[in-house]
Amino acid sequence: MIALDGVTKAYRTTSGEHVVLDRIDAVFPERVSVGILGRNGAGKSTLLRILGAAELPDEGTITRQGRVSWPIGFAGGFHGSLTGEENCRFVARIYDADLDEVVESTRAFADIGTYFSMPVRTYSSGMRARLAFGLSMAIDFDTYLVDEVTAVGDSKFQAKCRQAFAERQERSSVIIVSHQLKTIRDYCQRYAVLRRGQLHFFDDIAEAERAYEANP
Amino acid sequence: MSASVSAASPSPTSPTAPSTLDTLVQGTLTQLQVIHALALRETRTRFGAHQLGYVWALLEPLFWIGTFWGLFALAGREAPNGMPIVAFLATGVLPYEVAMKTADRCGNAVSGNRALLFYPQVQPVDLVLARGVLEGATYGAIFLVILGTEALVSQRFEIHDALLVAGGLGLGALFGTALGLVLCSLSVLSNVVERLKGPLFRPLFWMSGLFFTAESVPSNVRDVLLWNPILHCVELVRDGFFPSYTAHHVDVGYVLVWIVALAFVGLTLERVVRRKVEVT
Repeated sequence: MIALDGVTKAYRTTSGEHVVLDRIDAVFPERVSVGILGRNGAGKSTLLRILGAAELPDEGTITRQGRVSWPIGFAGGFHGSLTGEENCRFVARIYDADLDEVVESTRAFADIGTYFSMPVRTYSSGMRARLAFGLSMAIDFDTYLVDEVTAVGDSKFQAKCRQAFAERQERSSVIIVSHQLKTIRDYCQRYAVLRRGQLHFFDDIAEAERAYEANP
Repeated sequence: MSASVSAASPSPTSPTAPSTLDTLVQGTLTQLQVIHALALRETRTRFGAHQLGYVWALLEPLFWIGTFWGLFALAGREAPNGMPIVAFLATGVLPYEVAMKTADRCGNAVSGNRALLFYPQVQPVDLVLARGVLEGATYGAIFLVILGTEALVSQRFEIHDALLVAGGLGLGALFGTALGLVLCSLSVLSNVVERLKGPLFRPLFWMSGLFFTAESVPSNVRDVLLWNPILHCVELVRDGFFPSYTAHHVDVGYVLVWIVALAFVGLTLERVVRRKVEVT
Protein backbone atom coordinates (compact mmCIF):
# COMPACT_ATOMS: atom_id res chain seq x y z
CA MET A 1 0.00 0.00 0.00
CA ILE A 2 1.25 3.45 -0.86
CA ALA A 3 -0.61 6.58 0.21
CA LEU A 4 0.16 10.09 -0.97
CA ASP A 5 -0.94 13.09 1.01
CA GLY A 6 -0.60 16.50 -0.59
CA VAL A 7 2.49 15.51 -2.56
CA THR A 8 4.01 18.39 -4.51
CA LYS A 9 7.12 18.39 -6.66
CA ALA A 10 8.48 21.24 -8.73
CA TYR A 11 11.66 21.67 -10.73
CA ARG A 12 13.44 24.91 -11.28
CA THR A 13 14.07 25.59 -14.93
CA THR A 14 15.49 28.58 -16.75
CA SER A 15 11.94 29.73 -17.49
CA GLY A 16 10.82 29.65 -13.88
CA GLU A 17 9.42 27.01 -11.61
CA HIS A 18 7.74 24.06 -13.27
CA VAL A 19 5.25 22.25 -11.05
CA VAL A 20 5.21 18.57 -12.01
CA LEU A 21 3.03 17.18 -9.23
CA ASP A 22 0.50 19.53 -7.66
CA ARG A 23 -0.80 18.52 -4.20
CA ILE A 24 -1.66 14.94 -5.12
CA ASP A 25 -3.71 12.87 -2.68
CA ALA A 26 -3.98 9.22 -3.68
CA VAL A 27 -4.02 5.70 -2.31
CA PHE A 28 -2.58 2.70 -4.12
CA PRO A 29 -4.12 -0.24 -2.23
CA GLU A 30 -2.49 -3.61 -1.65
CA ARG A 31 -2.65 -6.17 -4.43
CA VAL A 32 -4.39 -3.81 -6.84
CA SER A 33 -2.35 -3.07 -9.92
CA VAL A 34 -2.66 0.45 -11.25
CA GLY A 35 -1.74 1.76 -14.68
CA ILE A 36 -0.95 5.45 -14.94
CA LEU A 37 -1.29 7.12 -18.31
CA GLY A 38 0.43 10.35 -19.14
CA ARG A 39 1.87 12.13 -22.12
CA ASN A 40 5.60 12.65 -22.50
CA GLY A 41 6.64 15.19 -19.92
CA ALA A 42 3.52 14.84 -17.80
CA GLY A 43 5.65 13.78 -14.83
CA LYS A 44 5.18 10.01 -14.94
CA SER A 45 8.79 9.15 -14.19
CA THR A 46 8.95 11.80 -11.48
CA LEU A 47 5.86 10.33 -9.84
CA LEU A 48 7.41 6.88 -9.97
CA ARG A 49 10.70 8.07 -8.45
CA ILE A 50 8.75 9.73 -5.64
CA LEU A 51 6.63 6.61 -5.05
CA GLY A 52 9.85 4.60 -4.81
CA ALA A 53 11.54 7.16 -2.49
CA ALA A 54 14.36 7.70 -4.96
CA GLU A 55 13.42 11.37 -4.73
CA LEU A 56 11.70 13.25 -1.96
CA PRO A 57 8.69 15.49 -2.58
CA ASP A 58 8.93 19.22 -1.91
CA GLU A 59 5.81 19.03 0.21
CA GLY A 60 3.44 16.35 1.45
CA THR A 61 3.98 12.90 2.89
CA ILE A 62 4.10 9.38 1.52
CA THR A 63 3.24 6.30 3.56
CA ARG A 64 4.43 2.91 2.38
CA GLN A 65 3.53 -0.51 3.69
CA GLY A 66 5.46 -3.51 2.49
CA ARG A 67 8.50 -3.57 0.28
CA VAL A 68 8.41 -1.21 -2.66
CA SER A 69 10.78 -1.75 -5.58
CA TRP A 70 13.00 0.90 -7.10
CA PRO A 71 11.59 2.39 -10.34
CA ILE A 72 12.29 -0.30 -12.92
CA GLY A 73 13.07 1.16 -16.30
CA PHE A 74 15.76 1.93 -18.84
CA ALA A 75 17.66 4.49 -16.84
CA GLY A 76 19.42 4.39 -13.54
CA GLY A 77 20.28 1.77 -11.01
CA PHE A 78 23.14 0.19 -12.89
CA HIS A 79 26.77 1.13 -12.92
CA GLY A 80 28.09 1.12 -16.48
CA SER A 81 31.55 -0.24 -15.76
CA LEU A 82 30.29 -3.18 -13.72
CA THR A 83 29.01 -6.34 -15.37
CA GLY A 84 25.38 -7.36 -15.22
CA GLU A 85 26.27 -9.98 -12.64
CA GLU A 86 28.18 -7.53 -10.46
CA ASN A 87 25.28 -5.12 -10.55
CA CYS A 88 22.98 -7.95 -9.45
CA ARG A 89 25.25 -8.74 -6.54
CA PHE A 90 25.24 -5.13 -5.45
CA VAL A 91 21.45 -4.89 -5.51
CA ALA A 92 21.06 -8.25 -3.76
CA ARG A 93 23.37 -6.98 -1.01
CA ILE A 94 21.49 -3.76 -0.36
CA TYR A 95 18.16 -5.62 -0.29
CA ASP A 96 19.60 -8.31 1.98
CA ALA A 97 18.74 -11.09 -0.48
CA ASP A 98 20.63 -14.31 -1.23
CA LEU A 99 23.39 -13.37 -3.68
CA ASP A 100 23.64 -16.59 -5.66
CA GLU A 101 19.90 -17.04 -5.90
CA VAL A 102 19.41 -13.52 -7.21
CA VAL A 103 22.22 -13.87 -9.73
CA GLU A 104 21.00 -17.20 -11.08
CA SER A 105 17.36 -16.21 -11.25
CA THR A 106 18.22 -12.91 -13.00
CA ARG A 107 20.51 -14.70 -15.45
CA ALA A 108 17.68 -17.04 -16.37
CA PHE A 109 15.02 -14.36 -16.64
CA ALA A 110 16.98 -11.67 -18.48
CA ASP A 111 18.23 -14.25 -21.00
CA ILE A 112 20.94 -11.99 -22.42
CA GLY A 113 23.56 -14.72 -22.79
CA THR A 114 27.22 -13.81 -22.42
CA TYR A 115 26.34 -10.14 -22.03
CA PHE A 116 25.48 -10.99 -18.44
CA SER A 117 29.19 -11.03 -17.63
CA MET A 118 30.02 -7.93 -19.65
CA PRO A 119 29.94 -4.27 -18.50
CA VAL A 120 26.44 -2.81 -18.54
CA ARG A 121 27.60 0.13 -20.64
CA THR A 122 27.91 -2.28 -23.60
CA TYR A 123 24.20 -3.14 -23.34
CA SER A 124 21.44 -1.92 -25.62
CA SER A 125 18.55 -0.23 -23.83
CA GLY A 126 16.48 -3.37 -24.37
CA MET A 127 19.10 -5.50 -22.62
CA ARG A 128 19.29 -3.03 -19.72
CA ALA A 129 15.53 -3.25 -19.34
CA ARG A 130 15.66 -7.06 -19.41
CA LEU A 131 18.33 -7.05 -16.73
CA ALA A 132 16.41 -4.55 -14.60
CA PHE A 133 13.19 -6.47 -14.93
CA GLY A 134 14.76 -9.86 -14.26
CA LEU A 135 16.60 -8.49 -11.23
CA SER A 136 13.48 -6.94 -9.73
CA MET A 137 11.66 -10.25 -10.17
CA ALA A 138 14.46 -12.05 -8.33
CA ILE A 139 13.88 -9.94 -5.23
CA ASP A 140 10.47 -10.20 -3.58
CA PHE A 141 8.63 -6.91 -3.53
CA ASP A 142 5.07 -6.20 -2.50
CA THR A 143 4.78 -3.38 -4.98
CA TYR A 144 6.65 -3.15 -8.26
CA LEU A 145 7.14 0.26 -9.84
CA VAL A 146 7.53 -0.09 -13.58
CA ASP A 147 8.45 2.62 -16.07
CA GLU A 148 7.30 1.48 -19.54
CA VAL A 149 9.79 -1.32 -19.31
CA THR A 150 7.42 -4.08 -20.27
CA ALA A 151 6.92 -2.48 -23.65
CA VAL A 152 10.42 -3.42 -24.69
CA GLY A 153 11.71 -6.68 -26.00
CA ASP A 154 10.19 -9.17 -28.35
CA SER A 155 6.80 -10.75 -27.84
CA LYS A 156 8.42 -13.70 -26.08
CA PHE A 157 9.95 -11.45 -23.42
CA GLN A 158 6.70 -9.54 -23.03
CA ALA A 159 4.84 -12.81 -22.51
CA LYS A 160 7.41 -13.76 -19.88
CA CYS A 161 6.86 -10.48 -18.02
CA ARG A 162 3.09 -10.96 -18.05
CA GLN A 163 3.46 -14.50 -16.78
CA ALA A 164 5.82 -13.44 -14.01
CA PHE A 165 3.32 -10.87 -12.75
CA ALA A 166 0.37 -13.25 -13.13
CA GLU A 167 2.19 -15.75 -10.92
CA ARG A 168 2.68 -13.27 -8.10
CA GLN A 169 -0.61 -11.44 -8.36
CA GLU A 170 -1.70 -13.03 -5.07
CA ARG A 171 1.01 -11.27 -3.10
CA SER A 172 2.29 -8.36 -5.21
CA SER A 173 0.89 -5.52 -7.20
CA VAL A 174 2.40 -3.36 -9.87
CA ILE A 175 2.19 0.34 -10.62
CA ILE A 176 2.99 0.95 -14.27
CA VAL A 177 3.39 4.32 -15.95
CA SER A 178 3.09 4.54 -19.72
CA HIS A 179 1.96 6.75 -22.53
CA GLN A 180 0.33 3.78 -24.25
CA LEU A 181 -2.97 2.27 -23.30
CA LYS A 182 -2.13 -1.18 -24.55
CA THR A 183 0.90 -1.48 -22.25
CA ILE A 184 -1.15 -1.15 -19.09
CA ARG A 185 -4.27 -2.99 -20.23
CA ASP A 186 -2.81 -6.44 -19.62
CA TYR A 187 -1.54 -5.74 -16.13
CA CYS A 188 -3.90 -3.49 -14.29
CA GLN A 189 -7.25 -3.45 -12.49
CA ARG A 190 -7.35 0.31 -11.98
CA TYR A 191 -6.27 3.15 -14.17
CA ALA A 192 -5.21 6.71 -13.65
CA VAL A 193 -4.40 9.65 -15.85
CA LEU A 194 -1.68 12.12 -14.89
CA ARG A 195 -2.28 15.52 -16.36
CA ARG A 196 -1.25 19.02 -15.30
CA GLY A 197 0.07 17.79 -11.99
CA GLN A 198 -3.16 15.99 -11.08
CA LEU A 199 -3.89 12.29 -10.85
CA HIS A 200 -7.41 11.10 -11.81
CA PHE A 201 -8.45 7.52 -11.10
CA PHE A 202 -10.78 5.29 -13.15
CA ASP A 203 -12.10 1.78 -12.60
CA ASP A 204 -12.97 1.35 -16.23
CA ILE A 205 -10.36 1.43 -18.95
CA ALA A 206 -12.74 2.95 -21.49
CA GLU A 207 -13.30 5.94 -19.18
CA ALA A 208 -9.59 6.28 -18.64
CA GLU A 209 -9.08 6.20 -22.38
CA ARG A 210 -11.67 8.94 -22.92
CA ALA A 211 -10.06 11.14 -20.28
CA TYR A 212 -6.61 10.47 -21.68
CA GLU A 213 -7.56 11.15 -25.30
CA ALA A 214 -9.57 14.27 -24.45
CA ASN A 215 -7.77 17.49 -25.27
CA PRO A 216 -5.94 18.87 -22.27
CA MET B 1 16.98 8.03 6.86
CA SER B 2 13.35 7.68 7.70
CA ALA B 3 12.15 7.16 4.15
CA SER B 4 14.76 4.57 3.35
CA VAL B 5 14.16 2.62 6.54
CA SER B 6 10.52 2.07 5.80
CA ALA B 7 11.32 0.98 2.27
CA ALA B 8 14.14 -1.35 3.20
CA SER B 9 12.86 -2.99 6.35
CA PRO B 10 11.23 -6.39 5.97
CA SER B 11 7.54 -6.29 5.27
CA PRO B 12 5.67 -5.45 8.45
CA THR B 13 4.16 -8.54 9.99
CA SER B 14 3.17 -7.08 13.34
CA PRO B 15 0.29 -4.61 13.30
CA THR B 16 1.89 -2.40 15.95
CA ALA B 17 4.23 0.31 14.77
CA PRO B 18 7.88 -0.45 15.54
CA SER B 19 9.41 1.50 18.40
CA THR B 20 11.86 4.29 17.77
CA LEU B 21 14.69 2.08 19.00
CA ASP B 22 13.77 -0.74 16.61
CA THR B 23 13.64 1.72 13.75
CA LEU B 24 17.01 3.11 14.72
CA VAL B 25 18.62 -0.34 15.00
CA GLN B 26 17.06 -1.53 11.76
CA GLY B 27 18.07 1.67 10.00
CA THR B 28 21.66 1.41 11.21
CA LEU B 29 21.91 -2.22 10.09
CA THR B 30 20.53 -1.33 6.67
CA GLN B 31 22.95 1.55 6.37
CA LEU B 32 25.93 -0.65 7.29
CA GLN B 33 24.79 -3.19 4.72
CA VAL B 34 24.52 -0.47 2.07
CA ILE B 35 27.95 0.97 2.91
CA HIS B 36 29.45 -2.52 2.78
CA ALA B 37 27.90 -3.19 -0.65
CA LEU B 38 28.98 0.24 -1.91
CA ALA B 39 32.55 -0.18 -0.65
CA LEU B 40 32.84 -3.53 -2.44
CA ARG B 41 31.41 -2.00 -5.58
CA GLU B 42 33.78 0.97 -5.35
CA THR B 43 36.73 -1.39 -4.98
CA ARG B 44 35.77 -2.93 -8.28
CA THR B 45 35.33 0.39 -10.11
CA ARG B 46 38.36 2.10 -8.54
CA PHE B 47 40.85 -0.69 -9.13
CA GLY B 48 39.21 -2.99 -11.64
CA ALA B 49 38.92 -0.55 -14.52
CA HIS B 50 42.59 -0.83 -15.48
CA GLN B 51 45.00 -3.66 -15.47
CA LEU B 52 47.46 -3.11 -12.61
CA GLY B 53 44.75 -1.09 -10.86
CA TYR B 54 46.37 -1.29 -7.45
CA VAL B 55 49.76 -0.34 -8.87
CA TRP B 56 48.34 3.00 -10.01
CA ALA B 57 47.28 3.75 -6.45
CA LEU B 58 50.90 3.18 -5.35
CA LEU B 59 52.43 5.21 -8.14
CA GLU B 60 51.35 8.69 -7.13
CA PRO B 61 52.79 8.66 -3.60
CA LEU B 62 55.91 6.92 -4.94
CA PHE B 63 56.27 9.67 -7.52
CA TRP B 64 56.22 12.40 -4.86
CA ILE B 65 58.57 10.49 -2.60
CA GLY B 66 60.95 9.98 -5.52
CA THR B 67 60.78 13.64 -6.56
CA PHE B 68 61.56 14.98 -3.10
CA TRP B 69 64.24 12.36 -2.60
CA GLY B 70 65.91 13.58 -5.80
CA LEU B 71 65.60 17.24 -4.74
CA PHE B 72 67.02 16.51 -1.28
CA ALA B 73 69.95 14.65 -2.87
CA LEU B 74 70.61 17.52 -5.30
CA ALA B 75 70.51 20.10 -2.53
CA GLY B 76 72.67 17.91 -0.33
CA ARG B 77 70.05 18.06 2.42
CA GLU B 78 69.29 15.33 4.88
CA ALA B 79 66.12 14.47 6.74
CA PRO B 80 65.90 16.13 10.16
CA ASN B 81 66.53 14.32 13.46
CA GLY B 82 68.44 11.51 11.75
CA MET B 83 65.35 10.05 10.12
CA PRO B 84 66.01 7.82 7.07
CA ILE B 85 65.12 9.93 4.05
CA VAL B 86 62.60 7.58 2.38
CA ALA B 87 60.76 6.91 5.62
CA PHE B 88 60.77 10.64 6.41
CA LEU B 89 59.18 11.49 3.06
CA ALA B 90 56.74 8.57 3.15
CA THR B 91 55.48 9.54 6.61
CA GLY B 92 54.82 13.02 5.18
CA VAL B 93 53.34 12.16 1.81
CA LEU B 94 51.01 9.36 2.92
CA PRO B 95 49.10 11.11 5.75
CA TYR B 96 48.70 14.08 3.41
CA GLU B 97 47.47 11.88 0.57
CA VAL B 98 45.04 9.94 2.75
CA ALA B 99 43.44 13.20 3.87
CA MET B 100 43.35 15.04 0.56
CA LYS B 101 42.65 12.11 -1.78
CA THR B 102 39.84 10.98 0.48
CA ALA B 103 38.40 14.49 0.48
CA ASP B 104 38.67 14.63 -3.31
CA ARG B 105 37.12 11.23 -3.95
CA CYS B 106 34.40 11.71 -1.34
CA GLY B 107 33.68 15.09 -2.91
CA ASN B 108 32.93 13.36 -6.21
CA ALA B 109 30.92 10.55 -4.63
CA VAL B 110 27.54 11.72 -5.90
CA SER B 111 28.61 12.69 -9.41
CA GLY B 112 30.16 9.25 -9.89
CA ASN B 113 27.25 7.28 -8.44
CA ARG B 114 24.13 9.24 -9.28
CA ALA B 115 22.48 6.15 -10.75
CA LEU B 116 22.62 4.36 -7.41
CA LEU B 117 20.48 6.98 -5.69
CA PHE B 118 17.62 5.22 -7.47
CA TYR B 119 17.61 2.77 -4.60
CA PRO B 120 15.84 4.40 -1.66
CA GLN B 121 18.20 2.96 0.94
CA VAL B 122 21.20 4.57 -0.77
CA GLN B 123 21.69 8.19 0.26
CA PRO B 124 24.47 10.66 -0.60
CA VAL B 125 26.01 10.23 2.84
CA ASP B 126 26.36 6.47 2.23
CA LEU B 127 28.20 7.11 -1.04
CA VAL B 128 30.60 9.42 0.81
CA LEU B 129 31.17 7.06 3.74
CA ALA B 130 31.80 4.08 1.44
CA ARG B 131 34.48 6.04 -0.39
CA GLY B 132 35.95 7.21 2.93
CA VAL B 133 36.23 3.61 4.13
CA LEU B 134 37.81 2.46 0.88
CA GLU B 135 40.32 5.33 0.67
CA GLY B 136 41.30 4.97 4.32
CA ALA B 137 41.92 1.25 3.86
CA THR B 138 43.77 1.81 0.58
CA TYR B 139 46.21 4.34 2.03
CA GLY B 140 46.69 2.24 5.15
CA ALA B 141 47.72 -0.62 2.87
CA ILE B 142 49.95 1.63 0.76
CA PHE B 143 51.62 2.86 3.94
CA LEU B 144 52.40 -0.70 4.97
CA VAL B 145 53.68 -1.62 1.48
CA ILE B 146 55.97 1.39 1.07
CA LEU B 147 57.39 1.43 4.59
CA GLY B 148 57.56 -2.37 4.65
CA THR B 149 59.61 -2.29 1.45
CA GLU B 150 61.80 0.44 2.88
CA ALA B 151 62.39 -1.65 5.99
CA LEU B 152 63.32 -4.68 3.88
CA VAL B 153 65.74 -2.70 1.74
CA SER B 154 67.40 -0.86 4.63
CA GLN B 155 67.23 -3.93 6.90
CA ARG B 156 66.01 -1.71 9.67
CA PHE B 157 62.55 -1.79 11.18
CA GLU B 158 61.56 -0.01 14.30
CA ILE B 159 58.18 1.57 14.83
CA HIS B 160 58.32 3.57 18.01
CA ASP B 161 54.56 3.64 18.71
CA ALA B 162 52.32 1.91 16.16
CA LEU B 163 49.18 3.27 17.78
CA LEU B 164 50.23 6.87 17.17
CA VAL B 165 50.99 6.04 13.53
CA ALA B 166 47.59 4.44 13.06
CA GLY B 167 45.99 7.34 14.92
CA GLY B 168 47.61 9.91 12.64
CA LEU B 169 46.53 8.07 9.49
CA GLY B 170 43.05 7.47 10.93
CA LEU B 171 42.60 11.15 11.80
CA GLY B 172 43.74 12.01 8.27
CA ALA B 173 41.14 9.68 6.78
CA LEU B 174 38.39 11.03 9.05
CA PHE B 175 39.33 14.61 8.25
CA GLY B 176 39.27 13.78 4.54
CA THR B 177 35.89 12.08 4.77
CA ALA B 178 34.33 14.94 6.74
CA LEU B 179 35.76 17.51 4.34
CA GLY B 180 34.63 15.34 1.41
CA LEU B 181 31.08 15.24 2.77
CA VAL B 182 30.97 19.05 2.80
CA LEU B 183 32.46 19.24 -0.70
CA CYS B 184 30.10 16.57 -2.01
CA SER B 185 27.01 18.35 -0.69
CA LEU B 186 28.22 21.71 -2.00
CA SER B 187 28.97 20.19 -5.41
CA VAL B 188 25.31 19.22 -5.76
CA LEU B 189 24.32 22.84 -5.16
CA SER B 190 26.88 24.43 -7.47
CA ASN B 191 29.58 23.33 -9.86
CA VAL B 192 31.78 26.22 -8.71
CA VAL B 193 33.09 23.94 -5.95
CA GLU B 194 34.58 21.56 -8.47
CA ARG B 195 36.56 24.38 -10.08
CA LEU B 196 37.68 26.02 -6.83
CA LYS B 197 38.76 22.80 -5.14
CA GLY B 198 42.10 22.55 -6.96
CA PRO B 199 43.40 26.10 -6.46
CA LEU B 200 42.10 26.27 -2.86
CA PHE B 201 43.71 23.07 -1.67
CA ARG B 202 46.97 23.19 -3.62
CA PRO B 203 48.78 25.34 -1.01
CA LEU B 204 48.17 22.59 1.56
CA PHE B 205 50.57 20.39 -0.35
CA TRP B 206 53.41 22.78 0.56
CA MET B 207 52.15 23.46 4.09
CA SER B 208 51.55 19.98 5.47
CA GLY B 209 55.09 19.01 6.42
CA LEU B 210 55.74 16.66 3.53
CA PHE B 211 59.39 17.75 3.39
CA PHE B 212 59.85 19.50 6.74
CA THR B 213 58.80 19.04 10.35
CA ALA B 214 57.09 21.48 12.64
CA GLU B 215 60.20 21.39 14.85
CA SER B 216 62.54 22.39 12.01
CA VAL B 217 60.87 25.65 10.94
CA PRO B 218 61.17 29.05 12.66
CA SER B 219 58.60 29.57 15.38
CA ASN B 220 56.79 32.45 13.63
CA VAL B 221 56.31 30.27 10.53
CA ARG B 222 55.31 27.31 12.69
CA ASP B 223 52.58 29.30 14.43
CA VAL B 224 50.94 29.89 11.06
CA LEU B 225 51.45 26.37 9.73
CA LEU B 226 49.94 24.77 12.82
CA TRP B 227 46.52 26.06 11.79
CA ASN B 228 46.61 23.33 9.15
CA PRO B 229 45.11 20.15 10.65
CA ILE B 230 46.90 17.91 8.13
CA LEU B 231 50.27 19.02 9.52
CA HIS B 232 49.13 17.69 12.90
CA CYS B 233 48.34 14.30 11.34
CA VAL B 234 51.78 14.18 9.71
CA GLU B 235 53.47 15.14 12.97
CA LEU B 236 51.54 12.47 14.82
CA VAL B 237 52.59 9.77 12.35
CA ARG B 238 56.26 10.83 12.50
CA ASP B 239 56.22 11.00 16.29
CA GLY B 240 54.87 7.47 16.37
CA PHE B 241 57.17 6.15 13.68
CA PHE B 242 60.60 7.51 14.61
CA PRO B 243 62.11 6.95 18.06
CA SER B 244 64.35 9.97 17.37
CA TYR B 245 61.50 12.42 16.73
CA THR B 246 59.13 13.99 19.22
CA ALA B 247 56.42 16.32 17.96
CA HIS B 248 56.00 18.87 20.72
CA HIS B 249 53.35 20.90 18.95
CA VAL B 250 50.89 18.24 17.88
CA ASP B 251 47.33 18.73 19.12
CA VAL B 252 44.95 15.82 18.58
CA GLY B 253 42.05 17.80 20.07
CA TYR B 254 42.51 20.50 17.45
CA VAL B 255 42.20 17.97 14.61
CA LEU B 256 39.15 16.41 16.28
CA VAL B 257 37.46 19.81 16.48
CA TRP B 258 37.98 20.20 12.74
CA ILE B 259 36.56 16.75 12.06
CA VAL B 260 33.48 17.26 14.25
CA ALA B 261 32.82 20.73 12.84
CA LEU B 262 33.16 19.58 9.22
CA ALA B 263 31.02 16.50 9.89
CA PHE B 264 28.34 18.69 11.45
CA VAL B 265 28.30 21.09 8.51
CA GLY B 266 28.52 18.22 6.02
CA LEU B 267 25.67 16.20 7.53
CA THR B 268 23.48 19.29 7.73
CA LEU B 269 24.17 20.19 4.11
CA GLU B 270 23.56 16.59 3.05
CA ARG B 271 20.04 16.80 4.52
CA VAL B 272 19.37 19.91 2.46
CA VAL B 273 20.89 18.44 -0.66
CA ARG B 274 19.04 15.11 -0.49
CA ARG B 275 15.96 16.82 -1.86
CA LYS B 276 17.87 18.49 -4.62
CA VAL B 277 19.92 15.69 -6.12
CA GLU B 278 18.55 14.92 -9.53
CA VAL B 279 18.38 11.18 -9.90
CA THR B 280 18.89 10.20 -13.49
